[in-house]
Amino acid sequence: MAKTAQVAKGLDGAAAGHGAEPRGKRTDDGLATYLIAIAEGLWEEMERDERVYLLGEDIGVYGGAFKVTEGFVDHFGTQRVMDTPIAEETIVGVAVGSAMEGLRPVAEFQYADFMSSGFDEITTVLARYHYRTGVRLPVVLRAPSGGGVRASNFHSTNPEPWFAHAPGLKVVCPSSPTDAKGLIKSAVRDDNPVVYLEHKWLYRRFKEPVPEDPDFLVPIGKADVKREGTDLTIVTYGAMVYRALEAADNLAAKGASIEVVDLRSIVPMDEETVLESIAKTSRALVLYESHRFLGVGAEVAAMIAEKAFEHLDAPVERLAPPNTPVPFSPPLEDAYLPQVSDIEAAVERISAW
Amino acid sequence: MSTEVEPGTAQTPGAARPLPDERLQEILHLLKLARHFDERMEALYRQGRLPGAFYSGRGQEGTHVGVAFALEPKDSLFPTHRDLTAQLTKGLDLNRVMAQYWGRIDGYLRGRDGNSHIGDWDGNRTFAVISHLPIAYPVACGAATAYQRAGDGRVAMAICGDGSTSNGRWHESLNWSAVHQLPVVWVVNNNQYAYSTPNPLEFHVPTIAERAVAYGMSGVRVDGGDVLEVYEAALAAVQRAREGGGPTLIESVSLRWRGHAGHDPASYMPAELLEQYMAEKDPVKNFEEWMLAEGVVTKEDIEAIAERIAADFEAGYEFAQASPFPEAGDVTKGLWAEDGYWDAEPGRGGGTGQ
Repeated sequence: MAKTAQVAKGLDGAAAGHGAEPRGKRTDDGLATYLIAIAEGLWEEMERDERVYLLGEDIGVYGGAFKVTEGFVDHFGTQRVMDTPIAEETIVGVAVGSAMEGLRPVAEFQYADFMSSGFDEITTVLARYHYRTGVRLPVVLRAPSGGGVRASNFHSTNPEPWFAHAPGLKVVCPSSPTDAKGLIKSAVRDDNPVVYLEHKWLYRRFKEPVPEDPDFLVPIGKADVKREGTDLTIVTYGAMVYRALEAADNLAAKGASIEVVDLRSIVPMDEETVLESIAKTSRALVLYESHRFLGVGAEVAAMIAEKAFEHLDAPVERLAPPNTPVPFSPPLEDAYLPQVSDIEAAVERISAW
Repeated sequence: MSTEVEPGTAQTPGAARPLPDERLQEILHLLKLARHFDERMEALYRQGRLPGAFYSGRGQEGTHVGVAFALEPKDSLFPTHRDLTAQLTKGLDLNRVMAQYWGRIDGYLRGRDGNSHIGDWDGNRTFAVISHLPIAYPVACGAATAYQRAGDGRVAMAICGDGSTSNGRWHESLNWSAVHQLPVVWVVNNNQYAYSTPNPLEFHVPTIAERAVAYGMSGVRVDGGDVLEVYEAALAAVQRAREGGGPTLIESVSLRWRGHAGHDPASYMPAELLEQYMAEKDPVKNFEEWMLAEGVVTKEDIEAIAERIAADFEAGYEFAQASPFPEAGDVTKGLWAEDGYWDAEPGRGGGTGQ
């Protein structure tokens, strides 16, 4: 993480996907963006296993709304990079049916918001089928999630709690380019359905050295300590990891030692890494971008309270957006999303106990 | 708008027989098995001896047997809760079906689902029924996509009811299958009622079949009271799909003789309509009479079939009662592929991982 370079400050507004620029390439010294990392992971898995194929809206000649699959159709052809009608229920259904017959589909949603248009096939068919029947469904659903890019109501959702509450789906939310690549490869190789939520704020914002070994994987269900500390643990994931790290930097100047645990996977959740961190720091802030009420962090906070009570020196605090849709106007969206200053204030409150 | 359908002509006297005698006898056996099973299971439900729910397919056996009889073992079937008969036609074992109804471990789904929400993907290539019809239509598109890519001549067939045609997924799937010319057969069992809602409150076109034209495929409307007419239409559709000719829509018209499920007395259905269908369009009686008239079976043959069915049903009932319940401690098992719960049943489909 220390080597991650912020390359795109001031991109707010340009990264929403409309009129997207080319995906770009690794730099000469091997740095890759999150966007490039996902594309590399998909490409390698398609080269590795001919059963893997992609389907989604505008992913072929156009290369996808965010250009993740730019150039794929030229190399793999239209059968393995399939442009579909605008029919999300059927996109998921086709993924399921083809997986039942031995293919390994990766379906792209243009935005995670549009997963609601395929919700029944995801939660009723895809999630439950293996538990009911034992038939394996190696399906990956990719979708750009999250706010902070002025994309407004219908292009900024964090739907991870919807799918975390549909038993049978794995749910991952990578934060770094390296994790993005390692997790998409693990998702494609997994025999269970995986909802892979990309964060659009991260697509082009950072570059870092990303492994080029075609068998580099990040395991699903394993959290990562992105910064070590001794005074307080921030448990988070996705784009909020960067706000937590920035807050930790600022607080370090004031003498506070903050640990940042990146969950990476929501389902299954790595409770062990979280609990080990709490045992060390005795204080916890749970920071997340899904809604505060019954959001991912609500489960994390409850888990800490149940399993690490004897280690706690202060109540567990949650910091997350309010229970409203994601608003458009910049002051409103900024008030909606947890900011670095909010994180610092929360850390100080918890530390004062 | 009309639910009138031209009477089937496949079973008129002296009509050319589309199948050899032994295959016709199989059809008669399946029709009579379906009727016996339906009547006996409903009785057990009403006596409080069958837990859960029971969905009767009575009066629609001609559709259920007719369409599934046109499939080969390698083809897949995406059925509904009302057409268990189609799955029996595809080859499901009666003992295991009945074990499923009583929630036993020998049921196809090990007690994870009940009644006709059943399927046997690895054995007989039938999708495990999901209630949200036509939820399996998009999945059938996916299976057909795999067959098309493999070029293996396989076909997917999906069934839904008249009410399902109001749902967006029905339209999405027909459109998608035509765009990609998928090897799939769409069957609508138009039994005229979606729970209590009649056809005129579900769609505003004279027939469901004519909608096919708007999607760029052939549509055909058949008399569900004539199992051979249904079979011939289904066979033509299956052959078209197998040869790369794309999808077909089949609307098979019948009447749902019973309520939506065992609890529903269907008092909303006009008595004279039901009487008419039971008198004139009973697919089991009509076929049996035709078989007798054509000399394909004798009365003695029919009695023997009935005895065999009654014995098989009783054996299935005993098998189900003797089968153990699933272990309560296994309630969380089988959620993930890697937990090994289903590995004891060999050949489960889908991915093979790394």
